[in-house]
Amino acid sequence: MRMFVTIGQFALFCVAVTRATLTHRPPVAASLQAAYEIGIRSLPILVIISTFVGTNLALQGYNAFKPLGGQSLVGMFVALAGVREMAPIMVAAMVAAKAGTEMASQIAVMRIQEQIDALEVMAVNPYWYLVTPRFAGILLVLPALTIISVFTLLLSSYSVSVFQLGLNGDEFLSHIQQTMSMMDFVFTSVKSIAFGAIICMVSCFYGFYSSPGATGVGAATNASVVVSAVLCSSLNYVLSELLYG
Amino acid sequence: MADPIIRLVNLHKSFGSLVVLDGVSFDIPTGETTAIIGPSGTGKSVLIKHIVGLLEPDEGQVWVGDVDMATANEKRKYEVRRRFGMLFQDGALFDSMTAGENVAFPLRYHTKLNEKQRREKAEEMMELVELPGVYDRPTSALSGGQRKRVGLARAIVLEPEIILFDEPNSGLDPLTSDTIDELIGKMKRQLGITFIVITHDIVSCVNIADHIVMLNGGKLIEHSPTQSFIRSENPFVRSFLRRNVDLDALKPL
Ligand SMILES: Nc1ncnc2c1ncn2[C@@H]1O[C@H](COP(=O)(O)OP(=O)(O)O)[C@@H](O)[C@H]1O
Ligand SMILES: [Mg+2]
Repeated sequence: MRMFVTIGQFALFCVAVTRATLTHRPPVAASLQAAYEIGIRSLPILVIISTFVGTNLALQGYNAFKPLGGQSLVGMFVALAGVREMAPIMVAAMVAAKAGTEMASQIAVMRIQEQIDALEVMAVNPYWYLVTPRFAGILLVLPALTIISVFTLLLSSYSVSVFQLGLNGDEFLSHIQQTMSMMDFVFTSVKSIAFGAIICMVSCFYGFYSSPGATGVGAATNASVVVSAVLCSSLNYVLSELLYG
Repeated sequence: MADPIIRLVNLHKSFGSLVVLDGVSFDIPTGETTAIIGPSGTGKSVLIKHIVGLLEPDEGQVWVGDVDMATANEKRKYEVRRRFGMLFQDGALFDSMTAGENVAFPLRYHTKLNEKQRREKAEEMMELVELPGVYDRPTSALSGGQRKRVGLARAIVLEPEIILFDEPNSGLDPLTSDTIDELIGKMKRQLGITFIVITHDIVSCVNIADHIVMLNGGKLIEHSPTQSFIRSENPFVRSFLRRNVDLDALKPL
């Protein structure tokens, strides 16, 4: 029952954000600022994690294919598992954990300190002021973060394959090339845009509906990352089925 | 009594099983100051949030001019809100901005002033509330009283017709408190602004208010001109006054 109420509230929230976004002038400067902050915050951790996911994909791919004598297929494995599946959802998880929680907690604090009420009384639409720039920002920056993650992951798995496992670098690259096409970048971007939209709307929603007090802010932040992660990973399955199935 | 600018009609509001407003009706006359008093937790803040359309009543009407905020659509509400300035109980300042940027904030959205002009106007307002030279200070570096005055400056920067103050004096030292009372008196006389002030401070109430409304337990206990209010025979009003102040100090000023 509680869940249906929440879903209903979330739907109304999305309607309010959409309406506010369409009826006001686009907050260009604020959106760029939001994109910059989301990007800068998530980039370091993303690069580190992508690097080590890349190394491990190479190791596991090698272990899996070696008994079959197909260790040269590591490149293909990395392209399929890493680029198509791991990178988008990994970026989503990192952005939900860093940027999403920050959105939820900032907005929750504004809610409980009546700053959102103050915006309303000053006749500044809070959906447009608080959500629209974050939404635009995350959509701008998430595909870029995903591409960065893809290249980091490829570079680290290449390095492990060539320098540690002694595989042929040219062969690795040609497998990557055969497996991946331009469409992979398009699909990866589609996924990351969908994840970005989910993370932003969910995090801002929990912030907007925060209950009072420090526990309210904590709960909002927590719920935002859990719900974003669940929604993104289940959507990832659906999207992979649709795009690659 | 002047014509009412705001008319509250039979307001009812509950949060779950908690009944906060239980049939409150009264008028707020144009260009005069109405003080709302009552024990804490009675619903004074809830009441004024209805006036600006932040809360919707379960029942009843909230007339601001000829718009009922209880049923108005978003667009109408935003239009009506342009007539209001409001100081929230805890200031509700934006932490991401400096003190001065907070004051200049409404100017950015509702005037054509450029950045320099906005700053000048904001500084002028900050001087008015006796807070000069803190434009660039982050809000986190302000004391409670300073935060309140920044909130006050922000509430009046667009020179609204109707100003709502939620406990402007609480947490302030007596001198600052007097300053704010004087400011309210001056703005009322010079600009014909309608004030609605929630306060615990009976002295301040008598200094500034033309009318006093007393709430308790979700009901209106008393609503009368200030001088008759302090002579009220209502036992609840008597005990509230006695607990808060030496009655002799309230003889007409
Ligand atoms: N948004 C809300 N949700 C639930 N309860 C609320 C809400 N706003 C106020 N209340 C409750 O309503 C009562 C009156 O609050 P308030 O108007 O802030 O009192 P005060 O007269 O001290 O300003 C309090 O018990 C408060 O907890
Ligand atoms: Mg209050």
